Amino acid sequence: MISKRLKQSLRSELRTSLMAKIGLVLILLILIVAMFAPFLAPHHPTETRVSDDPEVDKTDLPPIGMGYETSETRLVDGEMQTVETTIEPDHSFILGTNTLGQDILSRLMYGARVSVLVGVLGALLATAIGVPYGLTAGYFGDRIDDSLMRGADMMLAFPSLVLAIALVGVFRDTDFHTQQIPDPFVLAARHDTLGSFVPRGEHVAAMPASITFPVTVTLVVALVNWVWFARVARGEAMAIRQEEYVKAAKSVGASNATIIRQHVLPNSLTPVIVLATIQVAAIILLESALSYLGFSETTLTWGYDIQQGQSAAATYWWIAFMPGMAIVIAVISINLLGDWLRDALDPSIEGEGGV
Amino acid sequence: MGLGKFLIKRTIQGVIVIWGVVTITFFLRFLTPGDPVSALTPPDAGPEVRERMAENLGLNDPIHIQYADYITDLLMLDLGTSMRTGRSASIMILARLPATLELALAATIISMIIAIPLGVISARRRHQKSDYAATMFSLLGISTPNFWLGIMLIILVAVVVGPIPTGGRDVSFWEATVMLFLEANPRGFGNWAIHIFLPAITLGTYFTALLTRLTRSGMLEELGKTYVEATRAKGLPETLVLYKHVLRNTLIPIITVLGLQLGTLIGGAVITEEVFSWPGIGSFLIQQIAYRDWVLIQGILIVIGVGFVVINIIVDAMYAKLNPKVVTE
Repeated sequence: MISKRLKQSLRSELRTSLMAKIGLVLILLILIVAMFAPFLAPHHPTETRVSDDPEVDKTDLPPIGMGYETSETRLVDGEMQTVETTIEPDHSFILGTNTLGQDILSRLMYGARVSVLVGVLGALLATAIGVPYGLTAGYFGDRIDDSLMRGADMMLAFPSLVLAIALVGVFRDTDFHTQQIPDPFVLAARHDTLGSFVPRGEHVAAMPASITFPVTVTLVVALVNWVWFARVARGEAMAIRQEEYVKAAKSVGASNATIIRQHVLPNSLTPVIVLATIQVAAIILLESALSYLGFSETTLTWGYDIQQGQSAAATYWWIAFMPGMAIVIAVISINLLGDWLRDALDPSIEGEGGV
Repeated sequence: MGLGKFLIKRTIQGVIVIWGVVTITFFLRFLTPGDPVSALTPPDAGPEVRERMAENLGLNDPIHIQYADYITDLLMLDLGTSMRTGRSASIMILARLPATLELALAATIISMIIAIPLGVISARRRHQKSDYAATMFSLLGISTPNFWLGIMLIILVAVVVGPIPTGGRDVSFWEATVMLFLEANPRGFGNWAIHIFLPAITLGTYFTALLTRLTRSGMLEELGKTYVEATRAKGLPETLVLYKHVLRNTLIPIITVLGLQLGTLIGGAVITEEVFSWPGIGSFLIQQIAYRDWVLIQGILIVIGVGFVVINIIVDAMYAKLNPKVVTE
């Protein structure tokens, strides 16, 4: 499926394109952060620090270098006075804290896990639904194609976000699934099975033992986006079935299923891979929109953090700003990767983009 | 096949899709918990009251009769009765529709005003600073979640310009126009503009970025063709060559992709409306999901689905008019 020629064109495209390099490096960085969040996150992502005691209270701290002065009118010794106070950042909270005193950087690192999981699994699931559907439609053509693709068109009659909201609305009351995925690093550190092999063992052991994986949201984003895969696969199958080797396979009596599996599928994979890459970005945007609207099963996501920061955004801008930047960086790097793959492999692909 | 025949075929296809949309939303009701009878009767209602309500709503009929009733009602533009308020769903949704249309239209117009010249300049000065800037802008534009962009714009405007309204909508475009022409009062118009400005920019950014990309790549492709040299050789000024000849040919693929991307615009409107408390059908949908008012949710889905199909037919018609080749395919 990945021939020598493809590898070559990928490599030469990577060598000439600065953007492709940036995209690749950023994606590796995001993957490393998501995978090793318990080691890298400076604090527990959901630990709150709200208190009447100013020594303990760590709410709404600005990012490092963003200290600011504020004046406040309050009662001092029975008299109204305007008091100037300087809000200093705390050096252990690099990107500041939110209204509950949670460390924003740690939350972003853990949020990356949800985004990566939903993005990748959602795109894979959409591929698994859409590609067989599209290949069947395109390979058989005529009536089968017409009826299958009309069905797909009906999905396209709804904008992806609208469809996603409606589906979440349906699933929310019947089976809203969450799956706790245990964190192997934390478990290892806690049980001390690896002993001194876990660096920063105590720090890692104090991290959450599992992350909440939003099953419903992943299903929904796949159900919303599979149509794009069906369309691309159909187009490919229509072209491939005219090829001589397909006719040859038919003439020696190969069954349709065999031909699809052995000839049509492998030859249509290139555009599917490119589309899947771009779709990961689209799905991350969709997931963030759903969790912003409060339609996700987990609250440790970038979208939810933006929603939490919105009401206080005028004063504590960083609470909503930082998770948004995380989304932008993730989506840009995937888009750059997608551009690289497309330029190297296949320049003619459509697909609905973001939110 | 002539243009008329093409449009008839396209319309029939559209009607089939709309029928599918309607059928999907009909069955949505059976997927969702919560029954309309409990929603519409007082909690202390006796069994006979509930029975009468179920009878009135036609819930005791066999499913094919219910389906036929549903379709008949829809053909008479009756989307049912809101489960929570008991009011007509059609009227409630219709009241929300103009705000969304204004927002989507304003966003599209802003996008075109910015994106087309930007794409042309970018293609004209390929590999120069302005081209890189435009490319960066469009990459950022398609990668930014627009609800976040909206919040950031609100902060930015609050800091730079000072307090301007960042949510809601006082007057509709229609009311503002009436005020302007009948009362010679431009203040309604100013009020309308100041409220729609930020949401329209927010919603339009993704579209602007996309349109810039499309215009740029389309222009680059066209600029390589021989007729461009010919028009230049005729002595036409460069601006005329670019905007009259090259851009015109670029518009054909742009319109097709824009048609396909309208879903993004409508989907984007849903969340933009939520950020700016814009009283359109998008924020209405999210509200009704929270209330679990499935009659209204179904109605909104039908309106959006049907609207989308109709717009796509219009786009196809424009495309066919610009490029007669598709008709013969």
